[in-house]
Amino acid sequence: MSRKTALLLLPGLAFLAAGFLVPAVAMLVAPPGEETAAVVTRLAEMITDPYELRIIGRTVTIGLIVTGLCVGLGFPIAYLLARSTSRWGGVLLALAIFPLLLSNVVRTFGWLVLLGANGAIGKLLTSTGLADESPQMLYTPLAIVLGLTQLFLPLAVISCYSAVAQIDPGLDDAARGLGAGRTRTFWTVVVPLALPGIVVAATLVFAGSVTAYTTPYLLGGSGQRMLATQLFTYASVSVDWAAASATALIMTILVFLVSAVSSLAGRKGATT
Amino acid sequence: MRGNGTRRPVAATLAVLGYIIMIVPILFVVATAFSAGRTLRFPPEGFSLQWFEAAVTYDPFMESLVSSLYLAIGATALALLLGVPATIAIHRGRIPGRGLLEGLFLSPLIVPELVVGLALYQQLMIGLGLDNLTTLLLGHTALLLPYAVRVTGASLALADPAVEEAARGLGASPVRAFLTVTLPLLRPGIFSAGLLGFVTSFNNVPLSLLLQDREFRTLPVTMLDYVQQSYNPRIAAMATLILAATVVIAVIAERTVGFAKIFGGINR
Repeated sequence: MSRKTALLLLPGLAFLAAGFLVPAVAMLVAPPGEETAAVVTRLAEMITDPYELRIIGRTVTIGLIVTGLCVGLGFPIAYLLARSTSRWGGVLLALAIFPLLLSNVVRTFGWLVLLGANGAIGKLLTSTGLADESPQMLYTPLAIVLGLTQLFLPLAVISCYSAVAQIDPGLDDAARGLGAGRTRTFWTVVVPLALPGIVVAATLVFAGSVTAYTTPYLLGGSGQRMLATQLFTYASVSVDWAAASATALIMTILVFLVSAVSSLAGRKGATT
Repeated sequence: MRGNGTRRPVAATLAVLGYIIMIVPILFVVATAFSAGRTLRFPPEGFSLQWFEAAVTYDPFMESLVSSLYLAIGATALALLLGVPATIAIHRGRIPGRGLLEGLFLSPLIVPELVVGLALYQQLMIGLGLDNLTTLLLGHTALLLPYAVRVTGASLALADPAVEEAARGLGASPVRAFLTVTLPLLRPGIFSAGLLGFVTSFNNVPLSLLLQDREFRTLPVTMLDYVQQSYNPRIAAMATLILAATVVIAVIAERTVGFAKIFGGINR
C-alpha cells in the first residue's frame, strides 16, 4: 500500500475504531465493574428465565408478523408501480419513499392520535355502535405491529421495486401468450424472478423490527416490552451492565442470524 | 395505475391498504396540531395556531433543535471528510483486501444502533469519562461513514479513471486533477451522502438515546420524553414543523439528484 493511500484511509479507520469497533467489542468483553465472564453468565441465565424468554419470543413473533405484512403489502405496491405506465407512478413512488426521510418519532406519533383513548378509531367504533366503549388498542402488540409496519413498509417497497423493475415485462406477456392466467403468471414468473429483492426486503424489515426502540416505547408501553425497550431499562434504570450487554448480544445475534440465513438463501437462489 | 388496478384487484387492494398504513397516521398528526383544545384528541376541537406558537416558544424543544442541528451538520461534515478520501483509496488505490476494507467501513450498518449506543455510553462516557457531545459526535460520524463510503463509492465506480489519468497526462498535478476532474464527478454522490447523512443523524433515536445529558439533548429524544409527561397538541405542532422541513428537503432531493437514486445507493 502506498503512503498516499494509507493517508487517505487512516483517519476514517481511526474514527471507525474509536466510535464503533473498539467500544462494541469492549462492551461484550468487559462491562465496567464486572468480571470478564459476567456477560456470558448473564446470557445463560436469561435464556432459561421465563420472563426474558417471553420478551425474546414477543420480539421475534412481532418481527416475523411485521416482515410478513411489509412484504405482503410492499410487494404489490412495488409491482404495480414498476409496471405502471401512468404519470402518477412517479408521484406514488416518491410518496412511498418519502417517509424514509421523516423522523420515526413523528411517524409513530400518529398512532397515538389514532389508537389512543380519545383517538379517531375508538371514536369511530363507538359512534357507529360497533363497540360500546373504546377498546384498548394502545399499548397492545397490535399497536406495535401497526407502528412497525408503517415504519418499514417504505424499505420493503424500494427493495422489491428495484427487483421488479429489472424483470422484462416481455416475460409476463410471453407467459400470458402461452396460456397462463394473470395469477399464474404472477406466481410462476414475476415472484420467482423478484425473489432476491424479496429476501433483501424481508431481511431489512426483520432486522429493523427486532431492534426498533421508538415504536415499542411509544406504542407498547411497559406492558409490552421488547428487547430494545428492555435493554434501555437495564442500562439506564436498573444500571445492570451485564444484563444490558447480554440483551444487546441477543439482539445482535438475532440480526446476524437472519442476515446469514438470507445471504445463504440468496446464494442458493443464484445457483438454481 | 388505474388500468393496472382494475385488472389486478387483489394487488390493488393490498397496495391501497399499504399506502393507508404509511400515510394516514402522518395526516392525523397534522390535523391535531391545528387544534384549539387542550388535549390530544380526534376530531380536534376547533382550529388555531396556538400550539405552533407553544412549540416554537418552548425552550426544551428549541434548545434541543439547535443541538440536533449542530450534531447533524458536524457528524455529516466529518463523515464526508473522512469517508470520501477513504472511498477514493478503496476504489483507486491498489490495496490488498479491498472488499474486506469496504466491509469494515460498512460494518456500523449491521450492528443494531441501540447496541452501539450502549457500547459508547458504557465504554466512552462511563469508562473513559468523555463528555456526551464528543461521544455523540464520534458515534454519529461512525454511523454515517457507511453512507459516505457506499453512496460516493457508487458514483466513483461510474467515473472512468482514464479521465483522471488523461488530466495528469496533460500536465495537471495530482491535486489539480483531483479538484478539477474527480471531485466534480463525485459531486452528486457527495450531495446524496450528505443529505442522507444529515437526515439520518437528525432523526436518530436509538444511538443517541443513552448519550443524553442535561446540557446537550437531541430533539427526537426530547420529544419522546415530552410525550411521557404531557399529552397535548404542542408535540403534534412540533412534529408538523419537522414534517414541513422534511418535505422541503425531499423536494430539493427530488429536483437535484432524484429520490430513487439517493436511496438506490444505500440498498444493496
